[in-house]
Amino acid sequence: MNCSTNNPAKRRYMWRLAITMALYIAFLVLAIVIFVHYRPTGPLAWLLAVLPALAIILQIAAFGMYLSEEKDEFMRNLQVQALLWGIGATLSVTVTWGFLENFVHLRHMDLYLVYPLYCVLSGLALGIQHMRYK
Amino acid sequence: MECKTSNPAAKRFMRRNLITMLLYVLSLVLAIGVFLRYHPTGVLAYLLAVLPAIPLTGLLAIFGLYLAEEKDEFQRSIGVQSMLWGIGGTLAVTNIWGFLESFVHLRHLNPSLDAVIFWIFVGISIPFLLRRYR
Repeated sequence: MNCSTNNPAKRRYMWRLAITMALYIAFLVLAIVIFVHYRPTGPLAWLLAVLPALAIILQIAAFGMYLSEEKDEFMRNLQVQALLWGIGATLSVTVTWGFLENFVHLRHMDLYLVYPLYCVLSGLALGIQHMRYK
Repeated sequence: MECKTSNPAAKRFMRRNLITMLLYVLSLVLAIGVFLRYHPTGVLAYLLAVLPAIPLTGLLAIFGLYLAEEKDEFQRSIGVQSMLWGIGGTLAVTNIWGFLESFVHLRHLNPSLDAVIFWIFVGISIPFLLRRYR
């Protein structure tokens, strides 16, 4: 997906992506600063901890909106296939890691890494799809 | 997708699903049994630990095969959309849990449970998707 595009659905998605990324950074910095300086407890701590995740959820929703707004069937199919390959690969990694954690006490996987892992793997899948249809 | 179906793709999926689940139970029992009795180490321990992850990954591949073999466009579309909701739900849960683990030291969620969360979201989304098209 190019950054400069005439496709209105993509442009809206780019805007939403930029906003949710900015929110993510702002929420993460806010949560870290407050945790480091004030060591909050109880509901406030939970609320602050969940804030960065909310920005990521908005980002996922933004992509869902893009898929429903995309008029180009071919592009939508390409994206959906990449997402499906991405989830297949991500779950393969997490399930394997999980059993290694259980049986051979491999280091715990931080669960917030699942989303970046998913983005990388579905990005790779999208690249491969583009190459297939060139 | 009903349990009793005349759809050949769905029937093949059901049969493959059953075989995969049996393989999962067998490999899990084998891994637990060997770990409890013989305390394996090194490469053998890693191999045994990864064994139950293979059928779980296979289940995703089997669903992918079903989607590729399904002739009914509507059923395929429901399958794809349910997987997309599964992805969104799984990433939302793992993100929230991951940040809660990091900030408020919530109990670690084993990443192998990601696959369970994914299929739960897929299962929940199907009746809602079907209701939309009624």
